[in-house]
Amino acid sequence: MEGIQREDAEALSQLYDRYNGILKALVLRVIHNEAEADDLLQEIFMEIWNQAKNFSAEKGKPLGWMVTLARRRAIDGLRKKQAYARAEERLQHETEQQPDAWVHNSTEEEILDGDRRFLIQRVIGVLPPAQQQAIELAFFRGMSQREIAAKTNTPLGTVKTRLELGLKKIYDGLKELRDEL
Amino acid sequence: MSFEEFQNRARLFVVGALEPDEMAEFEKARHEFGARAEAFIAECYSLSEAFALSLKPAKASDQIKARLMEMVKNRQTD
Repeated sequence: MEGIQREDAEALSQLYDRYNGILKALVLRVIHNEAEADDLLQEIFMEIWNQAKNFSAEKGKPLGWMVTLARRRAIDGLRKKQAYARAEERLQHETEQQPDAWVHNSTEEEILDGDRRFLIQRVIGVLPPAQQQAIELAFFRGMSQREIAAKTNTPLGTVKTRLELGLKKIYDGLKELRDEL
Repeated sequence: MSFEEFQNRARLFVVGALEPDEMAEFEKARHEFGARAEAFIAECYSLSEAFALSLKPAKASDQIKARLMEMVKNRQTD
Protein backbone atom coordinates (compact mmCIF):
# COMPACT_ATOMS: atom_id res chain seq x y z
CA MET A 1 0.00 0.00 0.00
CA GLU A 2 2.92 2.33 0.71
CA GLY A 3 4.12 1.74 -2.85
CA ILE A 4 0.73 2.71 -4.24
CA GLN A 5 0.74 5.82 -2.08
CA ARG A 6 4.05 6.67 -3.83
CA GLU A 7 2.24 6.07 -7.18
CA ASP A 8 4.34 3.02 -7.99
CA ALA A 9 2.40 1.16 -10.69
CA GLU A 10 4.27 -2.08 -9.97
CA ALA A 11 2.90 -1.99 -6.41
CA LEU A 12 -0.63 -1.79 -7.83
CA SER A 13 0.15 -4.71 -10.12
CA GLN A 14 1.25 -6.80 -7.13
CA LEU A 15 -1.76 -5.75 -5.07
CA TYR A 16 -4.03 -6.71 -7.96
CA ASP A 17 -2.43 -10.14 -8.29
CA ARG A 18 -2.81 -10.76 -4.59
CA TYR A 19 -6.36 -9.53 -4.00
CA ASN A 20 -8.32 -9.53 -7.26
CA GLY A 21 -9.80 -12.96 -6.61
CA ILE A 22 -11.07 -11.99 -3.16
CA LEU A 23 -12.51 -8.67 -4.29
CA LYS A 24 -14.06 -10.17 -7.42
CA ALA A 25 -15.77 -12.83 -5.29
CA LEU A 26 -17.15 -10.13 -3.03
CA VAL A 27 -18.45 -8.02 -5.93
CA LEU A 28 -19.90 -11.07 -7.63
CA ARG A 29 -21.67 -12.04 -4.43
CA VAL A 30 -23.34 -8.64 -4.37
CA ILE A 31 -24.29 -8.14 -8.02
CA HIS A 32 -24.49 -11.72 -9.36
CA ASN A 33 -23.29 -10.77 -12.83
CA GLU A 34 -19.89 -11.84 -14.18
CA ALA A 35 -19.39 -9.05 -16.74
CA GLU A 36 -20.59 -6.30 -14.42
CA ALA A 37 -18.36 -7.70 -11.67
CA ASP A 38 -15.30 -7.46 -13.95
CA ASP A 39 -16.14 -3.86 -14.87
CA LEU A 40 -16.64 -2.94 -11.24
CA LEU A 41 -13.42 -4.68 -10.25
CA GLN A 42 -11.48 -2.48 -12.64
CA GLU A 43 -13.18 0.63 -11.21
CA ILE A 44 -12.46 -0.54 -7.67
CA PHE A 45 -8.73 -0.99 -8.31
CA MET A 46 -8.67 2.41 -9.99
CA GLU A 47 -10.31 3.89 -6.92
CA ILE A 48 -7.77 2.11 -4.71
CA TRP A 49 -5.06 3.75 -6.80
CA ASN A 50 -6.72 7.18 -6.55
CA GLN A 51 -7.70 6.96 -2.88
CA ALA A 52 -4.59 5.22 -1.50
CA LYS A 53 -3.38 8.47 0.01
CA ASN A 54 -6.44 8.37 2.32
CA PHE A 55 -5.49 4.94 3.68
CA SER A 56 -4.02 4.96 7.18
CA ALA A 57 -2.48 1.83 8.66
CA GLU A 58 -3.52 3.11 12.09
CA LYS A 59 -7.15 2.72 11.10
CA GLY A 60 -6.85 -0.91 10.01
CA LYS A 61 -5.30 -3.32 7.55
CA PRO A 62 -5.27 -2.67 3.79
CA LEU A 63 -7.62 -5.60 3.09
CA GLY A 64 -10.30 -4.25 5.44
CA TRP A 65 -10.08 -0.87 3.72
CA MET A 66 -10.25 -2.42 0.24
CA VAL A 67 -13.16 -4.68 1.17
CA THR A 68 -15.10 -1.71 2.55
CA LEU A 69 -14.43 0.25 -0.63
CA ALA A 70 -15.28 -2.68 -2.90
CA ARG A 71 -18.48 -3.51 -1.04
CA ARG A 72 -19.67 0.10 -1.21
CA ARG A 73 -18.96 0.29 -4.95
CA ALA A 74 -20.67 -3.03 -5.58
CA ILE A 75 -23.80 -2.04 -3.66
CA ASP A 76 -23.83 1.38 -5.37
CA GLY A 77 -23.51 -0.41 -8.71
CA LEU A 78 -26.35 -2.73 -7.84
CA ARG A 79 -28.63 0.17 -6.94
CA LYS A 80 -27.58 2.36 -9.87
CA LYS A 81 -28.37 -0.25 -12.44
CA GLN A 82 -31.64 -0.98 -10.70
CA ALA A 83 -30.66 -4.59 -10.86
CA TYR A 84 -32.33 -5.53 -7.62
CA ALA A 85 -35.08 -7.48 -9.32
CA ARG A 86 -32.72 -9.35 -11.60
CA ALA A 87 -30.26 -10.07 -8.78
CA GLU A 88 -33.18 -11.22 -6.66
CA GLU A 89 -34.11 -13.77 -9.30
CA ARG A 90 -30.55 -14.97 -9.69
CA LEU A 91 -30.05 -15.16 -5.94
CA GLN A 92 -33.26 -17.11 -5.59
CA HIS A 93 -32.08 -19.48 -8.30
CA GLU A 94 -28.67 -19.88 -6.69
CA THR A 95 -30.17 -20.38 -3.25
CA GLU A 96 -32.39 -23.12 -4.60
CA GLN A 97 -29.39 -24.80 -6.18
CA GLN A 98 -27.14 -24.29 -3.16
CA PRO A 99 -29.33 -23.85 -0.08
CA ASP A 100 -26.52 -23.10 2.34
CA ALA A 101 -24.66 -20.71 0.06
CA TRP A 102 -22.44 -19.07 2.64
CA VAL A 103 -21.14 -22.31 4.08
CA HIS A 104 -19.92 -23.83 0.86
CA ASN A 105 -17.05 -25.56 -0.88
CA SER A 106 -15.62 -27.03 2.30
CA THR A 107 -13.84 -30.00 0.81
CA GLU A 108 -11.95 -32.59 2.78
CA GLU A 109 -8.70 -31.20 1.41
CA GLU A 110 -9.54 -27.73 2.73
CA ILE A 111 -10.31 -29.17 6.14
CA LEU A 112 -7.04 -31.07 6.22
CA ASP A 113 -5.14 -28.01 5.10
CA GLY A 114 -6.71 -25.93 7.84
CA ASP A 115 -7.63 -23.54 5.08
CA ARG A 116 -8.33 -19.97 6.15
CA ARG A 117 -11.61 -19.88 4.28
CA PHE A 118 -12.77 -23.04 5.97
CA LEU A 119 -11.87 -21.67 9.40
CA ILE A 120 -13.80 -18.46 8.78
CA GLN A 121 -16.77 -20.37 7.36
CA ARG A 122 -16.73 -22.53 10.47
CA VAL A 123 -16.95 -19.43 12.69
CA ILE A 124 -19.84 -18.06 10.63
CA GLY A 125 -21.47 -21.46 10.27
CA VAL A 126 -22.09 -21.97 13.99
CA LEU A 127 -24.37 -18.95 14.08
CA PRO A 128 -28.13 -19.63 14.13
CA PRO A 129 -29.51 -19.37 10.56
CA ALA A 130 -31.54 -16.24 11.41
CA GLN A 131 -28.38 -14.41 12.50
CA GLN A 132 -26.50 -15.58 9.40
CA GLN A 133 -29.34 -14.38 7.20
CA ALA A 134 -29.50 -10.95 8.84
CA ILE A 135 -25.73 -10.46 8.41
CA GLU A 136 -25.82 -11.76 4.84
CA LEU A 137 -28.60 -9.32 3.90
CA ALA A 138 -26.83 -6.40 5.57
CA PHE A 139 -23.32 -7.05 4.28
CA PHE A 140 -23.80 -8.61 0.86
CA ARG A 141 -27.09 -6.95 -0.09
CA GLY A 142 -26.53 -3.59 1.55
CA MET A 143 -29.90 -3.73 3.28
CA SER A 144 -30.70 -1.49 6.24
CA GLN A 145 -32.09 -2.97 9.44
CA ARG A 146 -35.54 -1.74 8.42
CA GLU A 147 -35.27 -3.34 4.99
CA ILE A 148 -34.20 -6.64 6.57
CA ALA A 149 -37.11 -6.44 8.99
CA ALA A 150 -39.53 -5.89 6.10
CA LYS A 151 -38.02 -8.61 3.92
CA THR A 152 -37.96 -11.23 6.65
CA ASN A 153 -41.21 -10.10 8.28
CA THR A 154 -39.38 -9.73 11.58
CA PRO A 155 -39.65 -6.95 14.20
CA LEU A 156 -36.95 -4.29 13.82
CA GLY A 157 -35.70 -4.87 17.37
CA THR A 158 -35.22 -8.57 16.64
CA VAL A 159 -33.23 -7.80 13.50
CA LYS A 160 -30.99 -5.45 15.46
CA THR A 161 -30.45 -8.08 18.16
CA ARG A 162 -29.67 -10.77 15.57
CA LEU A 163 -27.12 -8.54 13.89
CA GLU A 164 -25.48 -7.48 17.15
CA LEU A 165 -25.30 -11.01 18.58
CA GLY A 166 -24.15 -12.55 15.30
CA LEU A 167 -21.45 -9.99 14.67
CA LYS A 168 -20.18 -10.27 18.26
CA LYS A 169 -19.95 -14.05 17.96
CA ILE A 170 -18.04 -13.79 14.70
CA TYR A 171 -15.79 -11.07 16.09
CA ASP A 172 -15.01 -13.17 19.19
CA GLY A 173 -14.52 -16.29 17.05
CA LEU A 174 -12.07 -14.49 14.77
CA LYS A 175 -10.11 -13.27 17.78
CA GLU A 176 -9.72 -16.86 18.95
CA LEU A 177 -8.54 -17.84 15.47
CA ARG A 178 -6.12 -14.93 15.11
CA ASP A 179 -3.00 -17.11 15.34
CA GLU A 180 -4.35 -19.65 12.84
CA LEU A 181 -5.40 -16.98 10.36
CA MET B 1 -23.64 5.23 25.69
CA SER B 2 -21.52 2.62 27.48
CA PHE B 3 -18.37 1.34 25.80
CA GLU B 4 -19.99 -2.09 25.46
CA GLU B 5 -22.88 -0.52 23.58
CA PHE B 6 -20.42 1.43 21.49
CA GLN B 7 -18.70 -1.85 20.61
CA ASN B 8 -22.01 -3.31 19.40
CA ARG B 9 -22.63 -0.21 17.29
CA ALA B 10 -19.08 -0.26 15.93
CA ARG B 11 -19.52 -3.79 14.61
CA LEU B 12 -22.73 -2.71 12.87
CA PHE B 13 -20.95 0.37 11.53
CA VAL B 14 -18.12 -1.52 9.80
CA VAL B 15 -20.52 -3.86 8.00
CA GLY B 16 -22.70 -0.93 6.92
CA ALA B 17 -25.67 -1.93 9.08
CA LEU B 18 -25.97 1.13 11.28
CA GLU B 19 -29.25 2.98 10.74
CA PRO B 20 -29.04 6.69 9.85
CA ASP B 21 -30.70 7.67 13.14
CA GLU B 22 -28.08 5.67 15.08
CA MET B 23 -25.18 7.24 13.24
CA ALA B 24 -25.19 10.61 15.01
CA GLU B 25 -25.23 8.96 18.42
CA PHE B 26 -22.46 6.61 17.32
CA GLU B 27 -20.29 9.45 16.03
CA LYS B 28 -20.80 11.36 19.29
CA ALA B 29 -19.72 8.33 21.33
CA ARG B 30 -16.82 7.74 18.95
CA HIS B 31 -15.61 11.27 19.60
CA GLU B 32 -16.05 10.89 23.37
CA PHE B 33 -14.21 7.57 23.60
CA GLY B 34 -11.43 8.94 21.37
CA ALA B 35 -8.39 6.75 20.70
CA ARG B 36 -9.99 3.77 22.44
CA ALA B 37 -12.90 3.97 20.03
CA GLU B 38 -10.69 4.31 16.96
CA ALA B 39 -8.61 1.31 18.03
CA PHE B 40 -11.74 -0.78 18.45
CA ILE B 41 -13.18 0.26 15.08
CA ALA B 42 -9.88 -0.66 13.41
CA GLU B 43 -10.16 -4.13 14.97
CA CYS B 44 -13.75 -4.44 13.78
CA TYR B 45 -12.66 -4.30 10.15
CA SER B 46 -11.58 -7.91 10.68
CA LEU B 47 -15.30 -8.65 10.22
CA SER B 48 -15.44 -7.17 6.72
CA GLU B 49 -12.20 -8.97 5.83
CA ALA B 50 -13.60 -12.24 7.13
CA PHE B 51 -16.80 -11.98 5.09
CA ALA B 52 -14.77 -11.42 1.94
CA LEU B 53 -12.32 -14.18 2.82
CA SER B 54 -15.17 -16.61 3.49
CA LEU B 55 -15.96 -16.62 -0.25
CA LYS B 56 -14.22 -18.77 -2.80
CA PRO B 57 -11.97 -16.40 -4.83
CA ALA B 58 -13.31 -15.65 -8.31
CA LYS B 59 -11.18 -15.33 -11.41
CA ALA B 60 -11.27 -11.94 -13.07
CA SER B 61 -11.07 -11.61 -16.84
CA ASP B 62 -7.46 -11.42 -18.04
CA GLN B 63 -8.24 -8.14 -19.80
CA ILE B 64 -9.11 -6.34 -16.58
CA LYS B 65 -5.57 -6.08 -15.28
CA ALA B 66 -4.23 -4.99 -18.66
CA ARG B 67 -6.89 -2.26 -18.92
CA LEU B 68 -6.26 -1.16 -15.35
CA MET B 69 -2.50 -0.87 -15.81
CA GLU B 70 -3.02 1.00 -19.08
CA MET B 71 -5.29 3.49 -17.32
CA VAL B 72 -2.73 4.01 -14.56
CA LYS B 73 0.04 4.47 -17.12
CA ASN B 74 -2.05 7.08 -18.97
CA ARG B 75 -2.84 8.83 -15.70
CA GLN B 76 0.87 9.02 -14.86
CA THR B 77 1.80 10.49 -18.24
CA ASP B 78 -1.00 13.12 -18.15
